[in-house]
Amino acid sequence: MSGLLSSGALLRRDPRLLKVPPYLSFLCIVIGVAWLLVLPLDNYSRKTYISENALLPGQVHTYFAGSDQNVFRGYKKEVDALEGKGNTEVNDKLEEFFKASGLKVARQKYEYKSAGETYSGENIYAILHAPRGDAEEAIVLVGAWTNVEGELNKSGVALVLTLARYFKRWSLWSKDIIFLITADSRAGPQAWVDAYHDTHQKGIQSLPVKSGALQGAVVIDYPFDHRFESIHIVYDGINGQLPNLDLLNTVVAIASGQMGIGASLQKMWRHTDTYKDRLTTMLRGMLNQGLGHASGPHSSFIPYHVDAITLQPYGEGWQDEMAMGRVIESTFRSLNNLLEHLHQSFFFYLLMQSSRFVSIGTYLPSAMLVAINFTIMAIFLWVKSASPPATAGKVASATGEKSAPLMLVQEGDAKALVPEIFAEEKERDFFLPLAVVVGSHFLGVLPLYLFNHTPEIMLPAVFFIFAVMNFVFPFLASTVLTRSFAPTSQQYQLIKAFSLLFLGMFLSTLATLNFSLAFLVGLLSAPLTYIRSYPGRPITTVFFIGLLSLLAPTTVFLAGTTYWNLGIGEVLKEAAFGWDVWGMNTQVVVWCVWWPAWVVGMIQLAGKPKDEGGSIKI
Amino acid sequence: MSNFSASRIRLSLTSYLNVAAHQTQQHQQPQCAQRDRDINLALAAMRLFLSLLSLAGVLFTPTSASSDYHEQLNLRPLHPSLLLASFNFQSNTSLASFEQQNFRYFPRSLGQILQHANTRELHLRFSLGRWDAESWGARPWGGAREGGTGVELWAWVEAESDEEADGRWLTLTNALSGLFCASLNFIDSTRTIRPVMSFEPVGDHSNTTISDLHLLHGTLPREVVCTENLTPFLKLLPCKGKAGISSLLDGHKLFDASWQSMSIDVQPICEAGSNNCQLQITQTIDMVLDIQRSKRPRDNPIPRPVAESELKCDTSKEYHSHDTCFPLDAAAQEEEWSLAHIFGHSLKGTCPLADESTDPVCIDVPHARHVYASEGAHEHKDESGYKRCFSLAPDKEFEMILPEQEISEKAPLEQPLLYAERSFIGYGQESGGVQAILTNPSLTDSVDFVYMETLPWFMKLYLHTLKAKINGLDEDIIKEMYYRPALDRKRGTQLEVRAIIPANSTVVLTYDFEKAILRYTEYPPDANRGFDVAPAVITIGNIAIRTTSLLLPLPTPDFSMPYNVIILTSTVMALSFGFIFNLLVRRFVALDEADQWDVRAVRLKALAALKRLASRFGKGVKVEKKE
Repeated sequence: MSGLLSSGALLRRDPRLLKVPPYLSFLCIVIGVAWLLVLPLDNYSRKTYISENALLPGQVHTYFAGSDQNVFRGYKKEVDALEGKGNTEVNDKLEEFFKASGLKVARQKYEYKSAGETYSGENIYAILHAPRGDAEEAIVLVGAWTNVEGELNKSGVALVLTLARYFKRWSLWSKDIIFLITADSRAGPQAWVDAYHDTHQKGIQSLPVKSGALQGAVVIDYPFDHRFESIHIVYDGINGQLPNLDLLNTVVAIASGQMGIGASLQKMWRHTDTYKDRLTTMLRGMLNQGLGHASGPHSSFIPYHVDAITLQPYGEGWQDEMAMGRVIESTFRSLNNLLEHLHQSFFFYLLMQSSRFVSIGTYLPSAMLVAINFTIMAIFLWVKSASPPATAGKVASATGEKSAPLMLVQEGDAKALVPEIFAEEKERDFFLPLAVVVGSHFLGVLPLYLFNHTPEIMLPAVFFIFAVMNFVFPFLASTVLTRSFAPTSQQYQLIKAFSLLFLGMFLSTLATLNFSLAFLVGLLSAPLTYIRSYPGRPITTVFFIGLLSLLAPTTVFLAGTTYWNLGIGEVLKEAAFGWDVWGMNTQVVVWCVWWPAWVVGMIQLAGKPKDEGGSIKI
Repeated sequence: MSNFSASRIRLSLTSYLNVAAHQTQQHQQPQCAQRDRDINLALAAMRLFLSLLSLAGVLFTPTSASSDYHEQLNLRPLHPSLLLASFNFQSNTSLASFEQQNFRYFPRSLGQILQHANTRELHLRFSLGRWDAESWGARPWGGAREGGTGVELWAWVEAESDEEADGRWLTLTNALSGLFCASLNFIDSTRTIRPVMSFEPVGDHSNTTISDLHLLHGTLPREVVCTENLTPFLKLLPCKGKAGISSLLDGHKLFDASWQSMSIDVQPICEAGSNNCQLQITQTIDMVLDIQRSKRPRDNPIPRPVAESELKCDTSKEYHSHDTCFPLDAAAQEEEWSLAHIFGHSLKGTCPLADESTDPVCIDVPHARHVYASEGAHEHKDESGYKRCFSLAPDKEFEMILPEQEISEKAPLEQPLLYAERSFIGYGQESGGVQAILTNPSLTDSVDFVYMETLPWFMKLYLHTLKAKINGLDEDIIKEMYYRPALDRKRGTQLEVRAIIPANSTVVLTYDFEKAILRYTEYPPDANRGFDVAPAVITIGNIAIRTTSLLLPLPTPDFSMPYNVIILTSTVMALSFGFIFNLLVRRFVALDEADQWDVRAVRLKALAALKRLASRFGKGVKVEKKE
């Protein structure tokens, strides 16, 4: 037994083995990134397919045509006439139209407060009772009055009105259909869905009329008058949640298979089915997923397990609004066929183009490998922190012998004979390291609170002050640390070990929920694995400080806003809005996971470990 | 006289059968056979005598009401372009002749089931769709002739103990299940409750029997009512859907209705203060038909867009042109319709067995509305100004046409006592809540009601969360409550709440529940659809209102998972077994040794066999030595 133990211990201290982990963790990162890059290849992604047999997309004739187009033009004129009118006035008119079609109409007022601003409006919705149904299930057709860009959704709303009138004529609906016209595309849908499930905040009215369990939602975003070429499908939900892939496949199958309309994703207006285009689509999808914001009115439905997508016609072509109407009609017929809630197909996927995807089983290892790199290093540092200062020759000679040298240990009256290598192990002093790591994580609450509760006007100023503070703080903290506690190099190792352990654990958990965010954060904090203090090597230190500064959350944020030409205040306002209204939790990941890890990394760089017989090489 | 003799023969037959029945019982209980036989014989003789007496009564009272049959169809147009058609069929038979199995207009198949299951009063409902109280007003028959979505059954069963009542209830549900082609046999103990405050017997029961009566109530919210339930229903009628108003009933039309309810009620009716009791069976069918939808020809039911010339447009709009049209509200005009349009064909004469004093067809429209009836029919207008009835020529087809007419006057809409709506709140797989919104539209009267919920056992109600709010304020309006908690897999939750809702106010009842996790095999094939929760019943005196049913999503396992697990474990097992098996049975030899393998193997084998023999021998010797 002792032989086994000692051989394990010897193995643990084998210098060859001790050299492996850093390379292994680097390999993990490389493979993780490479894994992601091969996904768009034919051999690693799959063609999409319909899993739920009940959907039967495109198997029905569509009849939305002929004189209904005259009706559409009529409604269109009415909607045009309402442009620029007040919310209530618009809804009065819409109520009239819906009532004339024989539907039950109700309204809902809402008011949100975020970043010192008030977002208020009134939603209006009409319920078409399933002719023989019992209000058990419902599907939703949404046309926001203004779309995400703030444009008037004129053709979209007119189409909803015409379709409401048209759907009323059919007796085959097995589910109620709810026609929802929200005042805007951001707060309105959220207020409505929250109230539908009775989880709404203060300031939002309850819904006077309700139907059954929501089975799906389709949003029309059609803000122009002319004919279009293709349909752009937006599918990202809040916090990176996605609708069931079957819903997306259904729409793609109907649009391209039945109607001959192309479908595109992630603003890839021209997709040539090359590796580059596929990768770009996937990366854009990952970025949207990672940011976790609402990309359209449909996003608010997804957290409630209601599968939803937004359809945006685009381009100049020969498809008219009736073709769009027929796509919706056929989609609704498919959804109407559903016997069960959409559950057959994937909820976790990355799309390369409208007909190619990779499922979670294929892509997950990539983020996991990046996350595991931190864990490997954390374990390595933990082991390493207990080993005595490296005297390589002695250890090597010890390993060559069969039995390890023994030594006598005495504690009080008790005596024991133990292998020398055990006695050589240092005791780990991990109270200080733990305090530093946990403290920095708790400190993350400060920016989280700050950025979510500052009024809009002050946001850019607060950001810049914070960014500056962000660079000064680690040095300050490091100085305080050195002055008051004088941490040893072992303690620095442990600080890093704990920080990486936490990062690795968190990112691997997050990877199953929001793959993209976990991957992006993992990649941006990958250098933290190799950061340590370099006492007496100022050039290296400065180089690493520069590198880390480039990868600081604040710098990345600044770079992102500059690259996409967005205002800092605008983005921060959006983030605060997401926090207050959508329940977005990207901020928590940034400020309570990424930022603390970065701060700890900086503290290490700036740290001066108390010399304890030579530095430790990694 | 021939009738008399026939009845007599039947009577004697019945008594014979009774005796025979008792004799078979006797075989089962031989210890008290003699005494039983005496009593039974005496009873049989008495029964014979009594039935003879009652028969004499029947014969000597001319045109007695003991076995009469009425049928009536009542039509009421509803807003917008809908039509409520209420079919009512009612027949009576004297309780005495019923007990002697002299059924006459009473359906024999049902009668025998009732006798076999000792059921004294029965109410059976088949419903589909939802009554839109806001636009259609109060429910037909005050909601007394309808059930919740699916099938609902409640009955008063005569039994001495609860167990006996359960047994008879089981008999009843199983027999009715066969009779009506419905899954009534699935009304088991988890779906059966014994309402305490909600249901009252409609029939007259004597004080002696009422103490032995057990009320049982069961629902099947998932049952889809369809043609196979209509056919047996029509067979119970004396004219069996061949003549009279029942000839209008057609599965295609009935089940295309926006709302429909079929009901069967059997109850004893006694004259006050006398023992002259009758058993009454009432069958009703109520349906709300969409006039536009019904008018579409059956071979072309697709609502294609109308031709541009037929489009009704608002020409006053300045943008109106040949290709732009603002549609006019179609509901402003009374549409043209006829019986043949709505029901597919006209009425085929009267049912010859029906009582002629009742007009078979009535319609609730203002007197100003033009109604053209076919020849031979006589119109009787009511004084109220909104009702007219038609008596028909017996053998002629009857048709009624209401032409298109612009009319401002409408038959008044009766306001319901209460608007009820119920929905789920919350989300997630673990817990949820139910919210019932009850609105009293009356400006003057408060309403005293009983709210009854039957919940499946896997929906675990937290009673402490039950709250009632009036107009958004917490107020204690609950006067009385009966709660019977669920037992896992044995019985569901029963909750009855008596409360008062003041005039012109809204009460919101909410409660929370937790979702249980079912066993793997307890899920239905379409597990991801969710589970149906029966409608709540709101009773106000003898008026009943039902909410819609609910769809409860439960946490569902990934059903392909066991399959994956089986595949994975099988693979692992196969691999490990193969590995170990290989190690056990194969011998690994170096390649250069392989050539001499056979010689060596034989030698080794021989050596091993020898050794074994030697050791056994040696052992045997040792044992012998010991002994």
